[in-house]
Amino acid sequence: MTYEVTVEPTGDVIEVEEGQTILDAALRQGVWLPFACGHGTCGTCKVQVVEGDADLGNASPFALMDVERDEGKVLACCAIPESDLVIEADIDVDPDFEGYSVEDFTARVISTVDLSPTIKGITLKLDNPITFQAGQYINLEIPGVQGSRAFSIANSPSDPSIVELHVRLVPGGAATTWLHETLKEGDELSLSGPYGQFFVRKSDVKDVIFIAGGSGLSSPQSMILDLLEQGDTRQIYLFQGARNVAELYNRVLLTELAEKHSNFHYIPALNAPTAEDQWQGFTGYVHEAAIDHFDGKFTGHKAYLCGPPPMIDSAISALMQGRVFEADIHMEKFLTAADGADSETRSALFKRI
Amino acid sequence: MSAKKLNLKDKYRLLTRDLDWEYSYADRKKAFPYEEFEGIKITDWSKWEDPFRLTMDAYWKYQAEKEKKLYAIFDAFAQNNGHLNVTDARYVNAIKIFLTGVSPLEYQAYQGYAHVGRQFGGAGARVACQMQSIDELRHVQTQIHAMSHYNKYFDGFQDWTHMHDRVWYLSVPKSFFDDARSAGPFEFLIAISFSFEYVLTNLLFVPFMSGAAHNGDMATCTFGFSAQSDEARHMTLGLEIIKFLLEQHEDNVPIVQKWIDKWFWRGTRLLSIVAMMMDYMLPNKVMSWKEAWEVYFEEAGGALFKDLARYGIRMPKFVETTEKEKEHISHQAWWIFYNYGHAAGFHTWIPSDEEMDWLSEKYPDTFDKYYRPRWELAKKMEAEGKRFYSQALPQLCTTCQIPMGFTEMDDPTQIAYRSSDYEGEKYHFCSDGCKHIFDQEPEKYVQSWLPVHQIYQGNCGGASVEEVLRDYYKLNLGADNLDIKGSPDEQRWKEWKGVA
Repeated sequence: MTYEVTVEPTGDVIEVEEGQTILDAALRQGVWLPFACGHGTCGTCKVQVVEGDADLGNASPFALMDVERDEGKVLACCAIPESDLVIEADIDVDPDFEGYSVEDFTARVISTVDLSPTIKGITLKLDNPITFQAGQYINLEIPGVQGSRAFSIANSPSDPSIVELHVRLVPGGAATTWLHETLKEGDELSLSGPYGQFFVRKSDVKDVIFIAGGSGLSSPQSMILDLLEQGDTRQIYLFQGARNVAELYNRVLLTELAEKHSNFHYIPALNAPTAEDQWQGFTGYVHEAAIDHFDGKFTGHKAYLCGPPPMIDSAISALMQGRVFEADIHMEKFLTAADGADSETRSALFKRI
Repeated sequence: MSAKKLNLKDKYRLLTRDLDWEYSYADRKKAFPYEEFEGIKITDWSKWEDPFRLTMDAYWKYQAEKEKKLYAIFDAFAQNNGHLNVTDARYVNAIKIFLTGVSPLEYQAYQGYAHVGRQFGGAGARVACQMQSIDELRHVQTQIHAMSHYNKYFDGFQDWTHMHDRVWYLSVPKSFFDDARSAGPFEFLIAISFSFEYVLTNLLFVPFMSGAAHNGDMATCTFGFSAQSDEARHMTLGLEIIKFLLEQHEDNVPIVQKWIDKWFWRGTRLLSIVAMMMDYMLPNKVMSWKEAWEVYFEEAGGALFKDLARYGIRMPKFVETTEKEKEHISHQAWWIFYNYGHAAGFHTWIPSDEEMDWLSEKYPDTFDKYYRPRWELAKKMEAEGKRFYSQALPQLCTTCQIPMGFTEMDDPTQIAYRSSDYEGEKYHFCSDGCKHIFDQEPEKYVQSWLPVHQIYQGNCGGASVEEVLRDYYKLNLGADNLDIKGSPDEQRWKEWKGVA
């Protein structure tokens, strides 16, 4: 039995397992809530329950006062949901967040294309237009697979009837195997969206760096198409990482964009090019390409990272050592079942990264 | 038109930032004279993110309810003779150390935060420190009240402020805070808010609170919970100061690293007293010091330093020594006190056979090999009527001020000696960590008030140790000190419990 907990004011939705605390579920699903001690004695993680019921757990009477209990406050680090919940946390809503409401859609497959040996491009036509911010994702229902799967939208929001997804085949993954091997043109699928806090902070005028790995090109592609369509004049850098030329998908599209727009710079990086590739570009990991390009100094930029956890991790370190910090780093981690539950102890130092 | 209701963030902004003003006719540098001398560069105070947003009206409301609950429990504890419910008279000696060694630090914290709460150029940091200052004053008051009940029934509680300022082993915690408070305002926050409150606080409070709970001491357990509930503010201030300094300017990184190295080591030395309390002084054990160190430092601290690595901060210097020390430090510390039990304001004892078995189980690689034989010898001597006390005054480490009893961690049979020469004088240290700290700032540590030196220099009265203990430390000789066996504390406990 799992419960759905909606975190206001951002609207993030998390799934909480039986007996699991709200904080544990939130952190594991990449939703940051304020916390410190983690065991009910300090009160940093206090949240207001707006709808539903929760067990208070071992909240210390000094950290969660009687008046607060009466008001429906709980400590996220020890509260266990007893129904679906809506909670309100002391977190900031981003001024650039449009807050488009989540809706359910029925979609028809209009094309599938092999973008690379492991990544399939799937284009869906929706029954109703979707309003989303470039960078956000949808949850897709897959026949015969329990629970939905999240995929970032790769197209620009300017055509609201279309959703383009980049799906990497996860070895042994039921959902991606089905999408790669069984799905065909004309099939119908259910999805809901848009979700997520990954979007361009347009109100901040700093130049932007995108770092994308594998199928994590999807969100940045949407964000860059959107910026360029809007005639945005800031400098835009895209570092795309892949193993070899065959995996470096949409290269033609991006190269052409860079030729057309003088403020868009496309820097692909291959970490294991083959001999036949005759690769002339940067060889190494994608964060190393960024370090190389900027000589390790990133001050004055905003960065958007999208891809598998190890790539994100290396990119954050590179950026911070180049003196771009949490406030200017935004990211979408692509987790698969193979990454497992993020069981490592987390420190409270960073909120979002 | 009615005023728009403010949200918490706006309220807090008005409370802090908008109380600040631009300096038009006064010199800002003169207004904040301590802001620059440490070498820390602040380019933009507006980047300070308020670590907690608590307005004064909410603060008083919360604190009032905490006090109401806490004092109701103190009253109940006193009326029901709560001291009779503790496991054993031995337990109360841990509380004596707390009152004489730790509670005065809460008062020093109150003074320290009040001071730096005036010295920062940024209003957000000033308000955060001022609020913490008030918290710390509340902590010391509740602790005194909690322990006043024990003072009616046990020896050793009567003159704790006087003892804190003079007694040899209490100079260890006292000099720790003196060191922090006499540093600049940024170092003070890295020392206390970050290194102590954030990185090491769980190692102090969890053992004390859980230890109290496991040993029937409801009063201590409750003030512990009450104080911990304020830690939210204190820990988040510790996190904010380190992020703020590291992000403000790259030149701050090596300075902050130096402070982390120093205060991590200072903190581990201070905690050796907690280590021996956990392993030797609690009749009902919570967990071993080694286990506590693994959970609260190695695991939690490991995650923290992994994140800090992104800023170019590495693990504290000498952290590899602490990995070895966790096997030894509690045994060596309690042995020191057993040796000097005649000069301590609390009682000492030989662990019971069951306790030694517990220690063997918790320390399979070290206890039977190095420490059990000593206790067996002490037990044999005691049985022969030869309970011994070391009569010579010990040499103290100039940095941490602990008697030089800790060993080389690769050879626990060899006492570790380090020394440095400075302006023609030789200074002694218990470890590489303490020597390193001295070598960084010798001009500061040559001024250390080392209790043994002071006695030999004649600054503590008396020609004999007994006179120093009685007249200068104000110990009630024969009551406050010596072994628990035969003490008035033990005598009274037996009478209350109706055992011969």
